[in-house]
Amino acid sequence: MASVPPGEWVPHVEAYVDVSRPAAQHSASVDALATLVNKDKLTLFDLVAKMDMYLTTTDHILRSRGILLLGELLSRISDKWLDVNTITTLSDFFISRLSDWPAIRGALVGCLALLHRKQGGGCIVIADVKRLVESFLQNVQVQSLAAADRKLCFQILSCILDRYPEVIKRMDGEQLYWICEAIDEEKDPECLKLSFHVVEVVMKLFPDPSGLAAQFASEFFEILSKYFPVYFTHGVADDLNATRDDLSKALMHAFCSTPYFEPFAIPLLLDKLSSSLPLAKVESLKYLDNCIRFYGADRMVKHASALWFKLKEVIFSLSSEQLLLTSGSPKDAEKNKNQMVSEALNCLKTAIVFIDSSDKDLFINLILFDGDIENKIHSILSAERSILSSVEDLAQVNALGSVISILAQSSTYSCTRVFQEHFTHLVDALGTSTDYESRQLNTCNGSSSTSVNYGALYLSVQMLSSCREVALASYADCSSIKLAKVSWWLILEKKLDRLIHLLGSLLTIASQSMHSVLRGEYVSCAVKGLLTLATFPEQCSPLPANAYEDILYMLTSVITSKFENIDLWRLSLKALTSIGSSIVEFNASQKEVIYCRTVVDNVVSLVESYDGSMPLSLRLEASYEVGTAGLNYMLRVARSLEGAVVTNISKANGRMEHVTQLFECYSSRVLPWLFTSGGINELALSFAMRLLDEIKYLTMLDRISSQGFLDSLMMGMKLLVGVCTEEQQTLIVQKAYSMVSSILPLPLKSTHHHLAVGDFVPSHSVQETSLVGMLSSVIIGLRPQTPVPDMLVMINLFTVFLLNGKLPAAYVLASIFNKYLHNTEFSHENQLDKILDDILERCFSTVLANSYSKDKSSGNILSKIDILSGLAWIGKGLLMRGDEKVKDISMFLLKCVCSDEALASEESYGNDSSDTSVAKSAAGAFHIMMSDSEVCLNKKFHARIKPLYKQRFFLILTPIFLSKIKEATSMTTKLALYRAFGHIISNAPVPAVVSEAHQILLVIVDSLAKLSVSLQDKDLVYSLLLVLSGMLMDEKGKECILDNIHITISVLTQLVSYPHMMVVRETALQCLVAFSTFPHSKVFPMRRKVLQAAIKALDDRKRAVRQEAVRCRQTWCANFAGRPF
Amino acid sequence: MTVGMINANPVVHERPERAAHPHAAAALDPLDVFDTVRDIKDPEHPYSLEQLSVLSQESISVDEKLGRIQYVCCMLTYILALHFCACTVLKIVQHCSMATVIGLCLRLKLMQNFPPHFKVLLCFPVSGILIIMTS
Repeated sequence: MASVPPGEWVPHVEAYVDVSRPAAQHSASVDALATLVNKDKLTLFDLVAKMDMYLTTTDHILRSRGILLLGELLSRISDKWLDVNTITTLSDFFISRLSDWPAIRGALVGCLALLHRKQGGGCIVIADVKRLVESFLQNVQVQSLAAADRKLCFQILSCILDRYPEVIKRMDGEQLYWICEAIDEEKDPECLKLSFHVVEVVMKLFPDPSGLAAQFASEFFEILSKYFPVYFTHGVADDLNATRDDLSKALMHAFCSTPYFEPFAIPLLLDKLSSSLPLAKVESLKYLDNCIRFYGADRMVKHASALWFKLKEVIFSLSSEQLLLTSGSPKDAEKNKNQMVSEALNCLKTAIVFIDSSDKDLFINLILFDGDIENKIHSILSAERSILSSVEDLAQVNALGSVISILAQSSTYSCTRVFQEHFTHLVDALGTSTDYESRQLNTCNGSSSTSVNYGALYLSVQMLSSCREVALASYADCSSIKLAKVSWWLILEKKLDRLIHLLGSLLTIASQSMHSVLRGEYVSCAVKGLLTLATFPEQCSPLPANAYEDILYMLTSVITSKFENIDLWRLSLKALTSIGSSIVEFNASQKEVIYCRTVVDNVVSLVESYDGSMPLSLRLEASYEVGTAGLNYMLRVARSLEGAVVTNISKANGRMEHVTQLFECYSSRVLPWLFTSGGINELALSFAMRLLDEIKYLTMLDRISSQGFLDSLMMGMKLLVGVCTEEQQTLIVQKAYSMVSSILPLPLKSTHHHLAVGDFVPSHSVQETSLVGMLSSVIIGLRPQTPVPDMLVMINLFTVFLLNGKLPAAYVLASIFNKYLHNTEFSHENQLDKILDDILERCFSTVLANSYSKDKSSGNILSKIDILSGLAWIGKGLLMRGDEKVKDISMFLLKCVCSDEALASEESYGNDSSDTSVAKSAAGAFHIMMSDSEVCLNKKFHARIKPLYKQRFFLILTPIFLSKIKEATSMTTKLALYRAFGHIISNAPVPAVVSEAHQILLVIVDSLAKLSVSLQDKDLVYSLLLVLSGMLMDEKGKECILDNIHITISVLTQLVSYPHMMVVRETALQCLVAFSTFPHSKVFPMRRKVLQAAIKALDDRKRAVRQEAVRCRQTWCANFAGRPF
Repeated sequence: MTVGMINANPVVHERPERAAHPHAAAALDPLDVFDTVRDIKDPEHPYSLEQLSVLSQESISVDEKLGRIQYVCCMLTYILALHFCACTVLKIVQHCSMATVIGLCLRLKLMQNFPPHFKVLLCFPVSGILIIMTS
């Protein structure tokens, strides 16, 4: 490749060497040189030859710059292949330069770059690495260098250690001592992080006991120990590459790097445990935890007892000295303490698991026969009625429970030992359930207050849960547990009956008499105990079938009868759900039968029952929660809900008001759950069929529609049909159709005739309307592939209802046209097109006829409005599939919006209320077309949705609306146009609107000003304001607003006192705050106006607005300093 | 001029955490006032007045009764009386020049954040003399 003449690149070298140039220029020239070298336009040889003077001059500054340039350059061409010769020459050069202390930076950078080179691209040879290390150790005094140079030194060291460990392995003691010296007294966090890493790797390099690591362990540890615990207060804001956590982790790895640190580290850590700084405690616990894992059992055994005593102090907060807390909040102290205790428990767990010496009784003896522990348990046992007097007591009992359960969990043997020692006594101390009941009786008489021994209760439940853990761990060979002569299994079995009944009685007699604070503790303890017992894996469960059934029965009876105690109720429900899912998890068939019989049947019957005492929402919650435990249960629940809905509808005394709630639960919770777990199958089909069966009687329909539950029924039906497969849908739709055709005197049997303009529109009874509503909801949910029987007849039928102003008919027509228009699977594809034209024409003429003839005899302004929104729905259906006909509809609607202008020109009056309402509803029709709907035409009901349809519609209509608005003369028309256009703007995607900002900004601003007058448009005002704030966030929108800043700000300042809606005021203020980022010269003249508005808003009725006003005022005062007041 | 700090070693309290505003009602209450001034920093230390417990919510009262009386005279006026107890920090010092500085800070902040018809009354019982600042 052609090389570049020296004249082009030498200036870069000169620029770099010149110290007076700015840093940016330096780095730019290195970059330029590196690019040249990388592209082979400049060889290193040429470069070095030209730089000759800079590399060898006696001027320290020039020389150091020259060497640094070469080093920097080398680090930037790390991917370029270099031949052996070049590499050797460069290594020779940089290694020799290590002795040149005034220019050391360049030598370090160069060495590091050489060491970092990858294997394939030509890298430094091992002999050179060795020479580099020797020269490095001989010439570089790390601690006498600046921080950046020290960092480079540590980087070189750790790079050598990571990539060429064999070089370091041959080091002798003197050289290791040099490393000690290098890291001693280091203070810079980044250097420290690297030096910790260096120590870690060095120590790992010499594992043998006679090696250097063993020899130097004390020296190294002495240096490391100064940094423990890492105290480092720099926040994130300081741009340091190290956080406290990083440092602490690096130091921890260094501590754990070699077992030879053990004699120094463990005493230090144990000593720091008694520190009064919470940080030191937590840190030493974490370090201890890791050290135990790495140092190995042999080394740790001798520390076991010391470790236990220290941990005990932390866990039970025995040490009397107060923790040094800089902050006085008791909550914070509590959090600190909890963290400490949990760390200590973790550490204890690790210790018990990892320190498994020949003496497996080591920790058992230490803990179980510890004086303090024995005392504590003794005091719990002896207290006849240990009532918890304070929170401290509670914490002590909790800590004791955790320690015991950690010990018991560790192995089968220790579990057995713990059980032998304490379990029997504890259960005995609890007393018997009969005792308890009689005592409870006494309480009722008011003679004495009484309580169960909480400590004993808690401890036994903890022990239960730990033996469950043990059972889970030895799941495979549980026969050995049962066969062993002495095992926890036998002990538990003996006391089982008594324990279950006791826990049960705690639930049933419920602890009304107890202290309300502690009641929660007792109850949750009891429920946890029962849950633990019931979720033992089946093979090694000590529980006989009848006891299992008892437990389930106890919990279920809470669900069915104790709903007024909501905490207990929720806990039991959760327990039942976990029991259910554990059955599924362990695949326990025998238990499943019992569970179904006892729990599912009972809970499900709650839904079906008419018992009014328990709120329906709770009953539904209970059955849903129980259902989530497994697919089979959920199917049961679904079926019972189905049954409940059907009976409530069909029976004369059924509760219609429940149907809504039942359906809500079914469709929003049960159906989605079943859908995700794939268990729907025939369920929806059969439910839909049953519903159809029920409503075929007109009396039934009458009842439903008269009580106003038609809507919820229809919604449910849609959802049911929506989840069915095509075949199932075919069945449902056929059934619905035959049902309707048998009841309704279908006026239009002939398939080729359809309503012509001017035909008389027959009206229908309420029952018939509801029947058609149900049919429509079936059709709305259909998939596009499902065939519809006699579609033309149906369309005619629905058209009649649409002309009568029935909205469901509009939904269904919209869905039909959305899904089936131009669908080649149907033979009548062309007819549909024509029918659509007919329907539209008919609707147009109906609406227009009334408005021009002023024939008020029909008096159906209301139905006219309904027809308009029906048209909008059909338009929405067409719009979503991207059909051209939507234009006809939108033009017609636009005509209606402007209709009162035509009227005004005819100078007619007296009728204007009807026409303004027509105009208003036509404007609302655009809202229907643009917004998303839950009722129909969405993904759930398989609508065809063309991507970006809203954006397209917006772009098509914008020019039309703009010209109409310009033409409009009367205020009412303008308002109606603003409303219609406002709906389109606010529902269109914001990026689309912003891209048109230059055209529509003034319209938006003007609409905001005009529409803010009336109360009815408050939602529209809010959504327009949101669009405006979206523009303010966008660069392009900002430009456009900048051109019209006066008018925009004055409208916004008016909106600050908008009386109808709080969020409008708040958003307006936020917009004003956003203005403060605009160019000063443009915004400054508006200062006075904005500040006045903000000051006014300081006195707003709502707090949120006041706070926003303060923010606005402060921003404007600060940014546009003038007189603040 | 300055001879060291007036209060060199203050007791710093933890700032209690709490959600935005616990009261649902929209009317102005002492907590609103407290929220406005709690973050003002002490002139000598990088701690807020709340952390130094110079201020507490209890020491603020918003007098709506007076406001109602004034309302009859067509002027909605509240009186914010900050009974500014300097006890914890400033009591130690006999002549505390900081009290006036802090007082000015408070007054400015309150005037900025509340509408102009509010009257601000600050009372400092410093070393036996009651300094009252009104606007």
